[in-house]
Amino acid sequence: MKNILFVFILFPLFGLSQDFSNEDYIYLKRHEHIKIGLSKQNFDITKQVSEQAEYLTAKKLYFANEAMHFDSFSAIEDIDAYTYLPERDSSVKVDYIETKREFDNGIFYSDQESKIFTFPAVTKGAITNLNYKEVVKDPHFLGLFRFGTFVPTKSAQLSIEFPNDVTIGYIDFNTKDVSVDFKQEIKRNTTTYTWTANNIKGYQNEVDGESMLYVVPHIIVYIKSYEYKGQRINVLNDVNDLYKWYASLVNQIDNSELEKVYKIADDLTKSIPTKKEKAEAIFNWVQNNINYVAFEDGLGGFIPRGAASVCDKRYGDCKDMANLLYEMLNHVGIEAYRTWIGTRDRPYSYNQVPTPMVDNHMITAAIIDGETIFLDGTDSYVPFGMPSSFTQTKEALLGIDANTFKLITVPVQKPESSVTEVSTTINIEDDMFKVSEKRLLTGYEKVDFITDYLYKKDTKTDEEFLNTTLALGNNKTNYNNIKRENFDNKSDALELSYDLEIDNYVKKVGTKLFINLDIDRVLSKSKIDDDKIYDKKIDHTYKKNYITTLNIPEGYSASFIPEELSFENPNYGYTITYSLKDSAIIQTKSIYVNTLSVKKQDFESWNEFIKSLTKAYKKSIILEQNQ
Amino acid sequence: MIKNTLFVLLFVSTNCFSQYYKSYDWSEKPKMHSITTQEEKEHSIGILKKSIVEYTSSDQASDLIQYETTHTITRVNDEKGIGQHNRVYIPMHDVKNLIDVKARTINLNGKVTLLNKDNIKEINNVEEYGDFKIFAIEGVEKNSEIEVLYTVEKEADLFGSETLQSDYPIKAVQFLYVTGDLNSEIKAYRTNSKFESVTTDGKASKLLDIRNMPAMIEEEYATPGANKIAVVYQCFPKGQTITQDMFWSNVVNNVGSKIIPENTNSKAKADLDAIMKDKKDLSNYEKIVLVDNFVKTNFTVVKNNNAELSDIDYILKNRSASDFGILKVYANYFKGLGIKYELVITANRFTYKFDPDFFIPNMLRDFLIYLPDEEKYVSPDRIEYRVGEAPFNMLGSYGLFIKEDFDYYFSKIVQSDPNYSTIKRIVDITFNDDFESATLKQHQEHAGHWSVTSRAILNLSTDQGIKEYKDYLTGSGIEDKVVESYEVKNTEMNQMEYNIPFIVNSTITSESIIEDAGDSYLFQIGQVIGTQSELYQEKERVNPIEMTYPNQYDYTITVEIPEGYTVEGLSSLNIDKSYKSNSTGEKICKFESSYKLEDNKLIVTIQEFYKSNEYALNRYEEFRSVINAASDFNKASILFKAK
Repeated sequence: MKNILFVFILFPLFGLSQDFSNEDYIYLKRHEHIKIGLSKQNFDITKQVSEQAEYLTAKKLYFANEAMHFDSFSAIEDIDAYTYLPERDSSVKVDYIETKREFDNGIFYSDQESKIFTFPAVTKGAITNLNYKEVVKDPHFLGLFRFGTFVPTKSAQLSIEFPNDVTIGYIDFNTKDVSVDFKQEIKRNTTTYTWTANNIKGYQNEVDGESMLYVVPHIIVYIKSYEYKGQRINVLNDVNDLYKWYASLVNQIDNSELEKVYKIADDLTKSIPTKKEKAEAIFNWVQNNINYVAFEDGLGGFIPRGAASVCDKRYGDCKDMANLLYEMLNHVGIEAYRTWIGTRDRPYSYNQVPTPMVDNHMITAAIIDGETIFLDGTDSYVPFGMPSSFTQTKEALLGIDANTFKLITVPVQKPESSVTEVSTTINIEDDMFKVSEKRLLTGYEKVDFITDYLYKKDTKTDEEFLNTTLALGNNKTNYNNIKRENFDNKSDALELSYDLEIDNYVKKVGTKLFINLDIDRVLSKSKIDDDKIYDKKIDHTYKKNYITTLNIPEGYSASFIPEELSFENPNYGYTITYSLKDSAIIQTKSIYVNTLSVKKQDFESWNEFIKSLTKAYKKSIILEQNQ
Repeated sequence: MIKNTLFVLLFVSTNCFSQYYKSYDWSEKPKMHSITTQEEKEHSIGILKKSIVEYTSSDQASDLIQYETTHTITRVNDEKGIGQHNRVYIPMHDVKNLIDVKARTINLNGKVTLLNKDNIKEINNVEEYGDFKIFAIEGVEKNSEIEVLYTVEKEADLFGSETLQSDYPIKAVQFLYVTGDLNSEIKAYRTNSKFESVTTDGKASKLLDIRNMPAMIEEEYATPGANKIAVVYQCFPKGQTITQDMFWSNVVNNVGSKIIPENTNSKAKADLDAIMKDKKDLSNYEKIVLVDNFVKTNFTVVKNNNAELSDIDYILKNRSASDFGILKVYANYFKGLGIKYELVITANRFTYKFDPDFFIPNMLRDFLIYLPDEEKYVSPDRIEYRVGEAPFNMLGSYGLFIKEDFDYYFSKIVQSDPNYSTIKRIVDITFNDDFESATLKQHQEHAGHWSVTSRAILNLSTDQGIKEYKDYLTGSGIEDKVVESYEVKNTEMNQMEYNIPFIVNSTITSESIIEDAGDSYLFQIGQVIGTQSELYQEKERVNPIEMTYPNQYDYTITVEIPEGYTVEGLSSLNIDKSYKSNSTGEKICKFESSYKLEDNKLIVTIQEFYKSNEYALNRYEEFRSVINAASDFNKASILFKAK
């Protein structure tokens, strides 16, 4: 008898320690119960949230700080929170809750607020309990539930209770490796769906990784339709309804004083013959003249501001710029549509997820000579004709008219559109490595350089910035005569040139000089760690072509030149060749990346590529003094 | 009724005085200001930044009335410049009344766009900053000028401060201090310009007028955020003068009476019984450690407006306290244990330079507890610190030290052990047969602030943070390294002894560290010490030199020379750079490396240290040469040749 009892007690404890014994803090439960009421076509929706967490150590007491966000579409009510201390079998209640706002770098004004508090008396062994009600004021926003979160969860559960005349849609993501138990319970008036998952590990962000939503097991629920007086009325039955809703919102755009906007469009395009060039002029004008300032205020976060007002104020957010482009382009006779899209962080398609969760961005699509051109006014440096890089692969929803829309996938841009061409001449004078180099950057290569130059350079000098970003030679490289051309010119390649002096670079031993021509070691730090969990995200495809000429100094001749090296894979690779011509050694190198994502199963092949490339970078030329 | 009358009177009387802000205005017809070609290259450039602080007082009451007017004209030349200036936040903290706001833009064509005041938004209780009025500037284009002018009436305070310098250059900076017949004090930091006495609408005033103020730039080994040109001021009620000593005594009495208990709280006594239970023959130091560990693992320091977070009974029950309230916990425990302590009020030197000679409340930012018998500090609201030295960001700052009897003094915050922070590193390197790869076996001991950081990251950081730290600990900059083994010791934040080192043992292999050059092999030995920072200096150095903390590195790198090979190119391993004290000739910082050959071993020893935390600005080049010497070593390679 004693034995049985012993096993009995030990078992559940063992179960816990086996899973999460190395953790500092875990959720014992995270439960959400959505209750939908419907009376006379009015929804009454609340979410009852119930969370319980345990401190397995006293290290991360900062988890005691809790924040519940809400905005004009929701409210937080009936917060009941306390800390339970098993050792003393006593509880300490949360007695102070504040409503706060936060500054957000991206959004200038937002109606989002937070209820914040700190759990009292947390220490090793403490169990915190939080229960509250979230009122959902608009039936389009049921949100999403994550089975996994930043720390492990022992019991995760979402349930939704709704009247039998309401139809609920749902779709889950990344649940392949977790077992989610689904239960359906039908009562006389209501139906309840319940999804439960146990012992879900923690998920944290990874640098270079795809967004968490590609990995975290989660579920999206939404109201498809309801019945009213014998009729089925759709809410978000499918993407048609989502579009209808969006169309009803853009219908509310303030269209006053559009003549102001038209005048600008006319002035910009009057002397331009082709549609394509007209569109380009308008796009460049919006890129150059409308500053990104975002306001998120209730439905104002969904309805673009009037085009005339945006022109007057000279600022707007994505939807404001999208609508302005739409008005200007159509005015000059170019077929253009307001277009909704999710950025690459959102792994959904419109048909899968016909809810506002699917997108977070707005652009304009112009159709010129049968070609669809995606225009993102928020990306100030992207060349006309290319979509913003963070919308590639994503489905775009083009609003054709009040009832019609079209779904088009934004194509992945080819490596040939984003090229860095580098031509380098190297001379050796008194053992000093002297370089003169010119770089031409196009497409996203140009966009990235300019963005970094503007926003990551801070108050650093050009030399320090180039030393830390290009990292040519070593971090002791001297830059002189730095020149930048075509910074603001959208259509031409960015031209960057400079002269370098690199100290400690030429290795002289006896009569030999050891010289490495790979001063640019791009990708050499890109090995993927064995413990990386998410697929590796690549922002855009590209090509880098190098031609490097080393003038052999007088009195020397080449005694060793490395062989040709290469790595070939459809998605990535390189080739390096050397040739001797007169008194110069010429290295030709080309590197390409032709994918936006390296999947987990391809990590090994990617690492082979990087290893091969890094090894190739290490090959030195040997020059020997003539006897 | 009486109150009402008083109010009316007060109103009438203040109205008798003219206020300068009422007559101060922007020019009716704005004109673009001309700028030089060099100035056109800046993202943005200030044309004018004018602050007017005006104090008045009524005849009947000794209350002060305070107005602040801010007037800026800024030229924005590109997208980044626009982004820096097209969003305006007016802090409403301590503001009674936002009297007037206006803003306009003038573009290159002379078109003027005026701010529509309906677009001013209000946001309340933002993080720890309070309320704001915000608006976006309308009509801005590249090469426009943005002009903003507003006045606030403040809850009159006896003091204030204004940072004049920005991270962009400003052509004219003016600070006008209008105090009339009130007694006042004013002081400017880090500028040679002097205040001149002027009369503003008949009132005595002081004007600081600085032309062509450069941008404050980010520099390494510096505290640029705290080094900006700034003004501090005090204004006293009519007929009064308050000395700095009076201000400080007031702070001391105020803080002291709130924090320092006469008797130990009974709940605190019960805590002490629990903390010291079954512990015998403890030294005072050990008792302090136990108390500190207990607080850090049972209390949370909370930043919100809950007034009870400084009430000792509430704190001990809820185990939550404000950064001020947590001091009471320590004070009660130390009182109960009979341990002598002093409260320290200071400021993080990276954000503010604490000035004992001019009191403003704004510099009372951080609290420490000093244990004079142990010469150690407790950092009550710093979860990553335990009893020992003060956190590095307060090292070298002045602090106000308050004793239990309310006596006080000022002192710089210094380390009791000048050699507190050290890294010892022993690396043994071998090559496999065909020079395909190198194996690095490493033993490292981190002490002092190094160990604090290591423990904090390993205990508190995210998975990604821990992963990146492991990369650093096993040798940063070796691109293709494979970590064969990795072990860390003494990782717990709660340690009973002073400055127990944090230990890392690791073995890594790398192929890329060897370069193949025909029949020889170049070994990048310098990479073994990890990527080193490099100080660039194209422009003249602006900020005085301040280290994060004094520290020392001792490295021994032993390379086994494979049989059949000789090693060449060793001269680059000899480096000797130092910075000597002008007075004693002693080396205050240095980088020294040298090698010796013993049998089949190459042994390289490196010693690098920075004994002082501060170095003279005019000797920056010498300091830089020491810092860059480590970066030079990092580039060193040696050549293995077959015999």
